[in-house]
Amino acid sequence: MKKRILAAVLATASILGTVAGCDSTNTSSTAPTESKDNNSSTTEESKPEDGGETKEEGKVLNIYAWNEEFKGFFEKYYQGLEWEVELEDGTKEKKKFDKAPGLETLKGVTVNWIINPSDGGVYQQKLDAALQAQSGAAADDKVDFFLAEADYILKYTNSDFTMDVSTIGVTTADTQYNYTVQAASDADGKVKGVSFQCCPSALIYRRSIAKDVLGTDDPAEVQKKLGTWADFDAVAAQAKEKGYYMTASYVETFRTFSNNVSSAWVVNGELNIDKAIEDWTTQAATYLDKEYTLPDGVWGDQKNAQMFAEGKTMCFFGPAWYYNFCMGNAMDKEKGCYGDWAVTTGPQEHFWGGTWILAATGTDNPTIVADIMKAFTVNEDVCSALIENEAQFTNNSKVNEKYATDPKFGNAFLGGQNDVALFVELAKGIKFEHKTNYDQLLSEKYPEYMLDYFQKKITKDEALANFYKFVNDTYADVKTP
Amino acid sequence: MAKLKNLDAPAKVKNYSDFQNEKGATSLLIARIASYVFLVFVTVMCLFSFYLLIINSTRSNAELQSGFSLLPREHFFENFGNAMKKTTFFLPQGLLNSLIIAAATSILTVYFSAMTAYGIFVYDFRGRKLADKFILLVMMIPTQVSAVGFVQLINQFKLVNTYWPLIIPAIAAPATYFYMKQYIEGALPLEVVEAARVDGSNEFRTFNTICLPMLKPALAVQMIFAFVGSWNNFFTPALVISKAELMTVPIMISIINSDLHSQAGDLGKLYMYIFISIVPVVIVYMFLSKFIIKGVTLGSVKG
Amino acid sequence: MGKKHKSISYAKWGYIFIIPFFVVYAVCTLVPLFSTFLYSFFDYYTTMDFRTIGPNFVGLQNYIDMFTPDRTGAIDLLNYTGNTLLMWVMGAVPQVLFALVLALIFTGIRLRIKGQGFFKTVIYMPNLIMASAFSMLFFTLFSPVGPVNQVLTQITGGDPFLFFSDIWATRSIIAFINFLMWFGNTTILLMAGIMGIDQSLFEASSIDGATSKQTFFKITLPLLIPIIVYVLVTALIGGLQMYDVPQIMTNGKGGVDMTAQTLVMQLNRMIGGVTKNYGKAGALSAYIFIVTGLLSILVFKVTGNSSGKKKAKKGGK
Repeated sequence: MKKRILAAVLATASILGTVAGCDSTNTSSTAPTESKDNNSSTTEESKPEDGGETKEEGKVLNIYAWNEEFKGFFEKYYQGLEWEVELEDGTKEKKKFDKAPGLETLKGVTVNWIINPSDGGVYQQKLDAALQAQSGAAADDKVDFFLAEADYILKYTNSDFTMDVSTIGVTTADTQYNYTVQAASDADGKVKGVSFQCCPSALIYRRSIAKDVLGTDDPAEVQKKLGTWADFDAVAAQAKEKGYYMTASYVETFRTFSNNVSSAWVVNGELNIDKAIEDWTTQAATYLDKEYTLPDGVWGDQKNAQMFAEGKTMCFFGPAWYYNFCMGNAMDKEKGCYGDWAVTTGPQEHFWGGTWILAATGTDNPTIVADIMKAFTVNEDVCSALIENEAQFTNNSKVNEKYATDPKFGNAFLGGQNDVALFVELAKGIKFEHKTNYDQLLSEKYPEYMLDYFQKKITKDEALANFYKFVNDTYADVKTP
Repeated sequence: MAKLKNLDAPAKVKNYSDFQNEKGATSLLIARIASYVFLVFVTVMCLFSFYLLIINSTRSNAELQSGFSLLPREHFFENFGNAMKKTTFFLPQGLLNSLIIAAATSILTVYFSAMTAYGIFVYDFRGRKLADKFILLVMMIPTQVSAVGFVQLINQFKLVNTYWPLIIPAIAAPATYFYMKQYIEGALPLEVVEAARVDGSNEFRTFNTICLPMLKPALAVQMIFAFVGSWNNFFTPALVISKAELMTVPIMISIINSDLHSQAGDLGKLYMYIFISIVPVVIVYMFLSKFIIKGVTLGSVKG
Repeated sequence: MGKKHKSISYAKWGYIFIIPFFVVYAVCTLVPLFSTFLYSFFDYYTTMDFRTIGPNFVGLQNYIDMFTPDRTGAIDLLNYTGNTLLMWVMGAVPQVLFALVLALIFTGIRLRIKGQGFFKTVIYMPNLIMASAFSMLFFTLFSPVGPVNQVLTQITGGDPFLFFSDIWATRSIIAFINFLMWFGNTTILLMAGIMGIDQSLFEASSIDGATSKQTFFKITLPLLIPIIVYVLVTALIGGLQMYDVPQIMTNGKGGVDMTAQTLVMQLNRMIGGVTKNYGKAGALSAYIFIVTGLLSILVFKVTGNSSGKKKAKKGGK
């Protein structure tokens, strides 16, 4: 899978090479003029190491994360470390990003990654312990920034362990997507961090199956026929008649519903099942009953097998990272169906995933933290590199739009469709509302417990009761019916 | 049970099979064939999962994602190279860390369990029975039960990111004590201890130089178990360690596992980690199992 | 065991020998354990927004809650206990039987099995694989598109069988993994036990013309009782702590309608995640402790009787 992606990425990169080369002349949009701190740091570089008379920055940058994904981007595009890419023919090539801001700001600073597994909640436990010990910790041991996911970000933004980034000179640029700012804000609207990516999720469909079922594989035409849930359900029935599955996992559409709720999972300390969640429940029950979908999870083997050429499934839902990195079966050289895919909006706008950088209160490297946040949001060189080399959809609408309108830009996996163009539109409609600290587990476990009911092992009430038990045992402060 | 050894050992007999009943020859043959059939069945059952692990470590991420295969592929060295690359953590470092902890743990466990069992079996002191009953009782406490309090304790003593909380508790291993006690009762005649005293040996020397060698098979058995248990333990180390340079292999595997659904995800690397992590325990096992087999001869010599 | 060991003046050495164990145990386990049990009488938990509620003394409330039937009249705790014991028995019975047969084969001098070193190594090897890796493998093996189903669908021509949507299939797979992981371990224990038996006894019985069946039931088995007790008790304790295999196989859900939810999985829900409920977890811990204790005593009592017989026989000799 990796090789194919690389090949695709490199192919687009080489097309764009010249374009990007021209564009990157305007490098002025980086940070330096925005705050005093930054000015002092730029003057500081001309002096020897110990010249900071106003505020001395720490020499160790401590970053908490649960995996190596952001670390890779950080090392390449901020720190400016060399990396290796494997080309189509198997040879290796060294690459280096010369415009990495960290080449200046990180001089004499040690970057220390503290990575803990997310399994069993270990990451959050370690992070929480470190944050709680922050005030008493030595400067070099203090957490400077950490990463968080949408599903539990509120826990941190609403706490005093994160700080208002405007105090360190990070202002929200209007190129940042609104929902990513909402997600990083506390209840009072103070912004506590930034996201380095934007993850609008699209309807990903098999072109050949769409042709068979709908008579067209054109994204605009397909969107007309799948624009609402009623349409979607109707097409599911047509697909079934032709021997296809509409989706390959009963949980496939869950995020689409749960991103568009009108009330939260927990209201006034009581568990609340929103109308949208109820709607999903009804849909999933029908889909499994009529065999429009399969009784498998979002990451299940049975679902993944449906991505092969011989698969019978028409629709998947996911953001750019999903099809670029998790649809390996579709990209398989022998059994895959590379190029037989396309993306469109689908019944409802939603997002999936994304990682936020949050500034830890008490950091001894505020300037560097601020500079990193800016690098991954407003620095156009960095953002362009993320699109070109890493197939990311960035949190910079200006850079994204540049590629969206580029007629030469296309994704070979999607039959040459310019997916950035679609995501630019999708990203505008995403909401980050009615979120709670509990969302991660509740959204994961609710579908799992309901499966017993969908498969007719037990009644709906019994399945709900099992879910309530889970909630009670996990969250002592949440009341259930 | 303690009196078992008081039975007089008869004069040494060279070969037990000399006494083999002639009539039993055919039934012995049948038993032998049945034994082999059974052994082969068990072997296949045991090796199958190993086979799968090895096969999987030769397949690329894409191949692993695309389903199951019983045939090896050619990505072994590629996966190996990826696994050996230094990222935040470094697998050889993890192996070394795991080795240090597992070795220290297993040695402490068997030594102090044997010592405690010896103390309770050999000496008659007030509270002896109580001590024995107490250990039996606490053996029944699941480890998870005290985990939360244990972490609080570690934080209080500022022992986070050290190996002490992983190694020191090994001194008190109730289940190993229980086994040692059962074994000592059968294998250590008190007369031996008394004879040593007559020869002027002090109590520690008697234990270290006379008693311990007699317990070799039991020590080897428990050492293997303790080593493997520590080697594969994710639960406690994950609670205690967060620094990359101190991480053990199971923690690293778990991090790679949380990477799976991201850009950095690589199932091939994951299986390679699992594969590499098994090799040291297999070696330790082979080494220690020699002692268990030797135990047979030791057993007959001591009689 | 006999009371008089003559060597009386050495009593202080007894304390010296056992002190390291007790000191370490007290600090590392007893102190945390005490707090665990203490918390069971309190309302005491943490929340997702970094608050800690309590400890507020509530008496036996946590215990009462634990045994309160739900709307259908079922007591969940008893269900989870039943699941745990059931899956343990399903794995432990073949585990001990296989181990016993293997130990006899390996120690049976008359059989003269070749390649013993190889077989002995092989049977223990499953125990070297991490439970999580094992579970991962079996999950793929029995997945709807896994090899087992590939064979099945080829034979039946129908839809794949959803093993993890079936109560007994899920339980059986979990039990089988436990059996596979632990029977080698048990075999080694039994082997070491058989080797610990004075060889002269076998010789003597051979001279007396005992059949191998007689040797087994009259000598090997009775003398193995202490080790078998050990095996059963530790297996039981391990069984009641069954956690990682069912946790991974059911993705922490507990199987269809919670029929594979074990006691420690339940404990893990309360203290294994980001939020901790010390009060409820304390009560559950106390319960697990008591159940383990009672069952272990049962094992001691049952097997203790037969070792009593053995003593009588020896006395006669």
